[in-house]
Amino acid sequence: MADPRRPPTPRRLGIIVALVVSMMLTLFVRLYYVQLIDPHKPTQNAGLLHDGYIVVPAPRGLIVDARGRPLVTNTTAQVITVDRDLLQQRSDHGRAVLARLAVLLNRSASELAKEITPCSPKVPAPCWTGEPFAPVPVATNAPTATVLAISEHREQYPGVAVQTVTLPSYPNGSLAAQILGYASQITTADKKSNSALNDADSIGVSGLEEQYDAILRGVDGKQIVKLNPQGYTVKLGGSVAAQQGNTLVTSIDLGIQRLAEQSLAKQIADSRAAGKPATGGAVVAMDPNTGRILAVASYPTYDPELFVGGITNANYGALTDPSAGTPLLNRAIAGAYAPGSTFKLITSSSLVMHDEINTTSSYSCPGSVTIDGRVKTNFDSEVLGDITLRDALGYSCDTFFYQPTADEYYTDQARIDRGQKAHEYLQRMAAAYGVGTAPGVDLPAGEQAAGSYADRETRLARWKANRATYCEEGRKGYPDIADAADRAYLTALAKENCTDGWRYRAGDNADMSIGQGETTMSPLQLAIAYSALLNGGRIWAPTLGWAVVDAKGKVVQTIQPKVRDRVPVRQSLFDYITSALDFGRGWSVSGAFAYIGSKYQNRLGGKTGTAEVFGKGDTSWLVTWGPTYKQHGHTRAKFVLVGMVEQAGTGATAAGPMLKRVWDGILGTNRPVIPHARPESVLPKIAPQVKVMTR
Amino acid sequence: MTLTARDPRAAFVLTPPVMPLERRVRGYDRPLVVLALALSLIGGLLVWAATRSASGESFLYRHLLNLGIAAALMVAASRLDARLLRLFGPIVYLASLFGLLLVIPAGTTVNGAKAWIRLGGGFELQPSEFMKLGLIVGMAVLFTRHDDRGDDAPPSTRDIVLALGLVAVPLALIMLQPDLGSAMVLGCAVFGVLVMAGAPARWTLGLLVCGVAGAILAVRLGVLHDYQLARFTSFRDPNHDPLGAAYNYNQAHIAIAHGGLFGKGLFHGPQTNSGFVPEQQTDFIFSVAGEEFGLVGAGLIIVLFGLLCWRGLRIARDADAAARLVAVGVVCWFAFQAFQNIGMNLGLTPVTGVPLPFVSYGGSSMFAQAIAIGLLQAVHRRSLT
Repeated sequence: MADPRRPPTPRRLGIIVALVVSMMLTLFVRLYYVQLIDPHKPTQNAGLLHDGYIVVPAPRGLIVDARGRPLVTNTTAQVITVDRDLLQQRSDHGRAVLARLAVLLNRSASELAKEITPCSPKVPAPCWTGEPFAPVPVATNAPTATVLAISEHREQYPGVAVQTVTLPSYPNGSLAAQILGYASQITTADKKSNSALNDADSIGVSGLEEQYDAILRGVDGKQIVKLNPQGYTVKLGGSVAAQQGNTLVTSIDLGIQRLAEQSLAKQIADSRAAGKPATGGAVVAMDPNTGRILAVASYPTYDPELFVGGITNANYGALTDPSAGTPLLNRAIAGAYAPGSTFKLITSSSLVMHDEINTTSSYSCPGSVTIDGRVKTNFDSEVLGDITLRDALGYSCDTFFYQPTADEYYTDQARIDRGQKAHEYLQRMAAAYGVGTAPGVDLPAGEQAAGSYADRETRLARWKANRATYCEEGRKGYPDIADAADRAYLTALAKENCTDGWRYRAGDNADMSIGQGETTMSPLQLAIAYSALLNGGRIWAPTLGWAVVDAKGKVVQTIQPKVRDRVPVRQSLFDYITSALDFGRGWSVSGAFAYIGSKYQNRLGGKTGTAEVFGKGDTSWLVTWGPTYKQHGHTRAKFVLVGMVEQAGTGATAAGPMLKRVWDGILGTNRPVIPHARPESVLPKIAPQVKVMTR
Repeated sequence: MTLTARDPRAAFVLTPPVMPLERRVRGYDRPLVVLALALSLIGGLLVWAATRSASGESFLYRHLLNLGIAAALMVAASRLDARLLRLFGPIVYLASLFGLLLVIPAGTTVNGAKAWIRLGGGFELQPSEFMKLGLIVGMAVLFTRHDDRGDDAPPSTRDIVLALGLVAVPLALIMLQPDLGSAMVLGCAVFGVLVMAGAPARWTLGLLVCGVAGAILAVRLGVLHDYQLARFTSFRDPNHDPLGAAYNYNQAHIAIAHGGLFGKGLFHGPQTNSGFVPEQQTDFIFSVAGEEFGLVGAGLIIVLFGLLCWRGLRIARDADAAARLVAVGVVCWFAFQAFQNIGMNLGLTPVTGVPLPFVSYGGSSMFAQAIAIGLLQAVHRRSLT
């Protein structure tokens, strides 16, 4: 501390002097070092100019069908760009040019000026996010008149250029739109996850475009520009051409795909004409022997061109609007529906394999069965008397399956009472057929539904999670609902859920046996399950992609579907079921109705489904397979076709005629859409790519 | 008209707050004037060399015009009665503060910092330069209020807290612009005044520790996001920095490193002539000296600054309490700003935009510095009488 009697001034001044002297000495020593001693002096290695790079985005690869016909190709578009450097060098900083251009593009000049100014912390959006020296695109897909006006009066538009860029193009319109997906502008998040991405690139964000993005994206080219030290372009340097992405060959067959979509759209129209809501539908065609998917149709669909060059918010809103049927949703793969009677394949497998019924005895098919005091009826309360499983499948009797599955439930309850674990055979068989697990198709994980079923464990877990809500709703009694009867029903339901919502009941098991209750599957999952019926029990992780072909036309990768699982069902039961559902049995098989009298009736088999949906019309289902042939005495088929129409009535009335039109095409009754009526087994030859110069 | 002390020879006449004419030359510290003028003239040559190829002589003429105005301001300031600091301190402080506030709605943005007020006729004013002056004078006045305790009494805690409050407002406004360089210079000048005023070591050392800790913290937090650190180094001017944050410094370094002992000769520096160093006539003026005049010429500039500070501190030594604080504050200002500027040319300090006093092109800084030199003269002459 300072001596209080002595002013601190001289010492303090000394501190200041010391600070000043040390700063000046430091500077001098550093200067001496930099100029005379430093052995590693920096040199101007860039010469007088340095290089800047303008990225030339690579055209995306093509997607073609199983016979090499294009599903997604590239087209060229005119883009008007503005070179800000050139404008800045003009006496008015390009104001006049921008004003003329603004009139031509029908936009405001100040907006254009903002758009071409490079972004910086002081320049808010809209601004140019690319390199400061790169030309800024101001109009994509410019009309020819505008392009001509600029090209013919070059002197009026210095710094304005017309460039050619490639954009995706869809030669078949909306065909397979949901499967193909779309590409979109790179976002900051994309760049964070992959540093090789550039602002000029596009990235697949849905469907095959997303799943195979790395293959389809290609390698960007670059244009070198010589920049002076201030960062202004002096001249152009060399360039590296962009490499287009590889071609993806899919197993989609354009002919079947088109036929399926047309037939689906016609069925929607027909069902609506018959007074049904028919809000949407789906068709899936699959090769049960290879696991390749041949066609995927979903209605309503959309025009993928909407996404080219960026989709407007209004258009995107329309594509995701539930009241418009959510066209972006791929109902065939991402939709989950109660499968109805088509589920009886799984129920039959479970009951027979666990000896709860056998294939020779007869069991009763009454008009109704009472389970735990609740009456469950057949469709239209039909009474068929004592029948075998063969007829129960063919006529699609529900009550036939209620009793054994309710019995299975009671057996399990007895096991639980003895302190043992429930077998839940039906649930285990459903899981073996793939219900409750995403099918593992080569599409983004978010675009494939897993389906669902109820069992004791999930019921209890859900009750634990929601009990508080149920009880509260039971107490409050839905004061918002106007209708007294509805209010009373919902309140009673909530009260029951509050106390007994954990309970899995015999009725739940009976519901599941006919694909109702909480059982849901996507059309693709049904196609996979029925493929197992026809291929000896293999559950495919199916594929859409077949091969990747490089620019030279060489196959660089073949995509093989994998067998994900095998269902624990003996071949003799498969044979029994296929023969029970053979359309050759005529009126004894409900799925055959639309096919009776057709040339190929004896070569097909199928199962209908009519699934009740609370508060809505019935979902119409039909699963068919064919043309059938014998291999080592077992029934095999070249195709499995699944058809589904929402709110359209019974399986025989909507899905039946819908798939009939597809079979007519495949089996050549009208016009053969596919040679030899079998899935293509040889990869198509893909011609080497023609170099597309984008600049 | 401001009321001032009376001239003893005209007992009942109010005089303007300036020295009588006959005393105009007497008592000037001539070396101080010569040093400042020498730096300014060297600056003129360097500005010319830096801008010759792109803009011809226009920057040289404007630098000389600025020099002329600055000279007049210096003479005017030197004729102020140093005893009137008490009166002028608050006025300069408040006027500069008003200027800083005015920048917020009416300022123009140059190189990323909203720090200028456009005056018309191509002239622009940078209030933060004058704030350095205002704050130094303001604090000097604050710390010498208590004549009854003796001029040299160390400031009380209350004074120091008040002074820090006085600093905080303009400092915050400058950081908002954002002008990190000016803020750092302001901080150092204030620190010098505090030390000189005899503030207890717990305050001076405490502030030093806080400052260093704050800087480390800022950089550490910046490290979390790469762009923040890069923005710190290219804080002043992101637009002229297309090749990364280090471009300015790298180019200046190349220029200086190849100057050698005697330099490439005036107008013969390849780096300078090809315009590789952005902002070379202002913040990177020292790189011209380094390339074209070599160690001899660039070292001379450092020596001249050393001498300038020596003369300033000599004046401080002989002055009364308030005037001494002003003198020390001015010396700290010049010394640190020179250190900061030359340091960033040499890669010692981060690139933050501060001009090299007297040498760099730029009106506001030169005017403020000229007034400061004038104040030093006034202090000096007051000490002689």
